[in-house]
Amino acid sequence: MLSEIAFYGALETGLIYGLVAFGIYISFRVLDFPDLTVDGSFPLGAAVAAMLIIAGWNPWIATGAAVLAGMAAGAVTALLNVKLNILNLLASILTMIALYSVNLRIMGRPNVALLTEETVLTPWYELDLAFHQVPVLLFVIVVFVSLILLWRFMKSETGLAMRATGANARMARAQGIATGGMIVLGVALSNGLVGLAGALFAQSQGAADVTMGVGVIVIGLASLIGGEALVTPSTVIRALIACVVGAIIYRLAIAFALNADVLGLQAQDLNLITAVLVTLAIVLPGVRNSVIAKFTRKKA
Amino acid sequence: MISASDLRLTFGKGTPLENPALRGMSLTVNQGEFVTVIGSNGAGKSTFLNALAGEVIVDTGQIIVDNQDVTRLPTHKRAARVARVFQDPLAGTCENLSIEENLALAIKRGQRRGLTSAVKRQYLGQFRESLASLKLGLESRLGDKMGLLSGGQRQAVSLLMASLTPSSILLLDEHTAALDPKTAAFVLELTEKIIEEQKLTALMVTHSMKQALEVGTRTVMLHQGQVVFDIAGKEREGLEVKDLLGLFEKQRGLEVDDDSLLLG
Repeated sequence: MLSEIAFYGALETGLIYGLVAFGIYISFRVLDFPDLTVDGSFPLGAAVAAMLIIAGWNPWIATGAAVLAGMAAGAVTALLNVKLNILNLLASILTMIALYSVNLRIMGRPNVALLTEETVLTPWYELDLAFHQVPVLLFVIVVFVSLILLWRFMKSETGLAMRATGANARMARAQGIATGGMIVLGVALSNGLVGLAGALFAQSQGAADVTMGVGVIVIGLASLIGGEALVTPSTVIRALIACVVGAIIYRLAIAFALNADVLGLQAQDLNLITAVLVTLAIVLPGVRNSVIAKFTRKKA
Repeated sequence: MISASDLRLTFGKGTPLENPALRGMSLTVNQGEFVTVIGSNGAGKSTFLNALAGEVIVDTGQIIVDNQDVTRLPTHKRAARVARVFQDPLAGTCENLSIEENLALAIKRGQRRGLTSAVKRQYLGQFRESLASLKLGLESRLGDKMGLLSGGQRQAVSLLMASLTPSSILLLDEHTAALDPKTAAFVLELTEKIIEEQKLTALMVTHSMKQALEVGTRTVMLHQGQVVFDIAGKEREGLEVKDLLGLFEKQRGLEVDDDSLLLG
């Protein structure tokens, strides 16, 4: 079984990947823009926050700067696509590759430790809570606030214009929506959230590492698709809740798989487990529907 | 008033597929006119409409809408003045958005969009009222996804969306062609009603000569990217399809061989 510490650890990373899943929801679902920039903007957020914290900045302001850095990275990807007509997927790969160098430049070395620095979590440790519960509490608040803000935004005039851009660009243009501008705004917003996730991850793990972004896109997608399989995303709020639920369930499933000795799985099997989980998440809703169809047909 | 003068546009210039779609196309539409546009396949009807809307930018020529030169402006910058209904019923609306969200998009056509709620309570009365005028029972389904509606219903809502805010011209691109005959008749009737009630200036492309003569106040025929004839008023009254064909043949000195023009 899962120890209490492993359980809270899964919740903690699950909540952080919930933010990544929000970002991927905006790019993949709202804008229909397959964006791999996140593999670079996640460590970018971590690097920016870590370096500023080490330089003595307030950790919240450093985290805010990480969000802005992520947004800038997203804007570059979107502009490559909108202004230079580079295929969206390729544009995002170019930015992702470039960010690897940028992140090394920012940190000056492959990884930076934060263990002795004051982070956004530091004041919270004074609360009467177990050590491993503190990050969960803070991240629940951050994820909740992000969810409410995103939901309000998607319901706003600009948010609606963004949703129309992804769903039917020709119609959006005919309604006077600058679709190129909406793509830039949306992909920037998406990567801003991923930058935030990277900054929080670095602070809770006590280090920023240039390789920490590898596979973030797959985990984010796994969370998104898994969440959608569990919570039908028929409205914006449901889709956002699906992101968080998917991310937490995904981390818990991974923790269970790695903790169950009978399975004999080890940490290096993580990517294989991820691939299997994503496949199941994609296939299962179809199976569920056909089973439901079978039963309802019998009744009729 | 909108005026297009000497529009020229060639697709695939310098390639074996070079196709001159507009060859000196000129047309002025006055305030309150309802012009029907006919022409065989490849006559340049759709290209002309796309040029007016901004979906394609002409090589040379000038497009003036309400004294403003819009020739080089992209679609979204013309949208405040140019409203449009597409041929494909799925193209004019967003199926993933609800009916009220689609209408909320249209009510801000060509205006600034901010961060206030898109579907405002004060809109709902107007939405319900205009949907009720369609007599399709949609006024009680504001929250339903657009994708749940039939093609005809969606085209009716598209029309409503195009007329929700004032425009200098309403472009209708064979907007009944993809519907079954009964629904097409309903949408056409609705089009005439909306244009008359709101005194809109409209340009309707149609494949049917009969429709072109029965509807609107003026008929223009295109051929090879130019206007070959343009009739309105007394001259147009009582004109029948065969007269139209005669006119066309006289003008061009050739036979009409496109069956689709004769049918329907």
